[in-house]
Amino acid sequence: MAAIELEGLTKDYGEVRANDGVTFAVERGEVFGYLGPNGAGKTTTIRTVLGLLSPTAGTVRLLGRDVTDEAQLLEAKRRLGYLPDDPAFDETATGREILDLHASLKGDERSAEVLELFDPPLDREIREYSRGNVQKLGLVTTFMHDPELVILDEPTSGLDPLLQQRFNEFVRAEREVGLTVFFSSHILSEVRKLCDRVGIIRDGRLVTVDPVESLLDRSGKFVRLHADEPIPIRSLEVDGVHGLESNDGAGPSDGTEYAFTFTGDINALLAAIREYRLVDLSIEEAPLEEVFMRFYGSDAADAPPATEQAAAGTDRGGSGDV
Amino acid sequence: MFELTRYDGRRRVRGSIALSVGLSALAAMVIWVYPSFEAEVDLDQLLAAYPDPILQVMGVQTMTSLGGFLSFELYTFGWVIMLGLYLAYSTAGTIADDVDRGRMDVLLSMPLSRRRLVAERFAAMAVPIVGANLLPPVVVFIGARLIDHPLAATDVLAVHLLSIPYLFACAGIGLLASVVFDRAAIAQRVALGVTFALFLSESLLTGTDAETVGSIAPMRYYDPNAVLLEGHYDLVGAGMLVAMTLAFLVASQLWFGRTDIH
Repeated sequence: MAAIELEGLTKDYGEVRANDGVTFAVERGEVFGYLGPNGAGKTTTIRTVLGLLSPTAGTVRLLGRDVTDEAQLLEAKRRLGYLPDDPAFDETATGREILDLHASLKGDERSAEVLELFDPPLDREIREYSRGNVQKLGLVTTFMHDPELVILDEPTSGLDPLLQQRFNEFVRAEREVGLTVFFSSHILSEVRKLCDRVGIIRDGRLVTVDPVESLLDRSGKFVRLHADEPIPIRSLEVDGVHGLESNDGAGPSDGTEYAFTFTGDINALLAAIREYRLVDLSIEEAPLEEVFMRFYGSDAADAPPATEQAAAGTDRGGSGDV
Repeated sequence: MFELTRYDGRRRVRGSIALSVGLSALAAMVIWVYPSFEAEVDLDQLLAAYPDPILQVMGVQTMTSLGGFLSFELYTFGWVIMLGLYLAYSTAGTIADDVDRGRMDVLLSMPLSRRRLVAERFAAMAVPIVGANLLPPVVVFIGARLIDHPLAATDVLAVHLLSIPYLFACAGIGLLASVVFDRAAIAQRVALGVTFALFLSESLLTGTDAETVGSIAPMRYYDPNAVLLEGHYDLVGAGMLVAMTLAFLVASQLWFGRTDIH
């Protein structure tokens, strides 16, 4: 039984179809990233999974329970932690009063432990809290009852880099002990650091669900090379070179410095440049922004689905493609 | 059960004490001015000077007894109108404000059904409703003795006890507005408007052909004059108010149970 199962989830607001036939499953024990730009429909999916919105069509099962049946939904919620994208608490209450209320309603197994990592000023009223402190309190209320599944909507917004780092370590450690995490983000590096699998949504439609490595593989390597003397451009006409740029003028031409994305066999590339003396060569994983561009970039907007697109190779640089 | 009610209730204690003290001060003032009023003004003549609709709206029957004077100066004005409007307004803020400010997401992520959430928030309104009725009856009872116009303790107690179902019914109007509108400001304005319109419909239409229209107004079933002047306690009316309150509560639960929370 999957932790979250969506089958043809559709949410129609009349003018906008916020979710359109979204189908995927979050398996138990995995960290699943739900990625998309603002307004893509991430929050709509999450709010439907939580039963805050009712689906126009399709089914949603949360920890095996049908979310449109309130009794079943309540069963699931006992084992669920949720952090909304902009958590809000009673402004006139202190953090401690909020935690007491949450403890009375859902239990408190480990707030003390979570508070050591995320420590909002509990004796102050929420109205005096900074955005970061509200987020910290939200994290404590999300994890305090030791849930099996947590759903986090843009969890690190409002956290400073140090706390983001702490949050990442915390989520990884929790995953080791069997926690299932479903979180949405538009920050790619965050997804890459944490997720096992990633679902990408655009304009309410699920574009792809893939292991995070395969997304990285598909996006290829980012290669920069700097040669002692100009390398003829045709030497670099190797299968899998995209978006070739050189330092010599705007377009690609014979130059000494080249940068391109590479999705082919790395040995073929090395063989092609073996005869040239290099000053420097770097081969890095393409930034996930590159992956993202494949799904959201203007040229990708009308492109075929991601898998076909990757198989066909993308043509973003023009003449660099072989 | 009732964790949310306890939490809400505690947060309403301070306001309720202030309310009780304020109303007690109003009660003390009304009682304090009564002897000089009675001595120096021909009250029947004063009554005659008011146009009938005003007397009808304010529920004025007589000013020549402390009971009649209190009935309109304190209970019709302070309880039926002011407190009734206050509770409708204040309750209208409960659910709508949670939705408006995004707190509802966090609340509903807990194992708490929507029906229970509505019922528990509503139950917490017992704190201001009962709280407002704790100190004033003591002030009225003692004050009346101090100015040598003693009132029967049972009458004073009854006028306050019977106001409790009335105030719950007004809060029920607010509750329904609070689940129907997800903007607190709108819910509160609607609750105020509806409560006041019901009050006017009841008081202005009494004795006319359209009198039945007023029968849906909670004000029809709480009459301070009957209690303080005739010692008549309208238990059937109280029962109507309880039924009305439950109807508002159930309607709110049904509505909130099926609405999308944005």
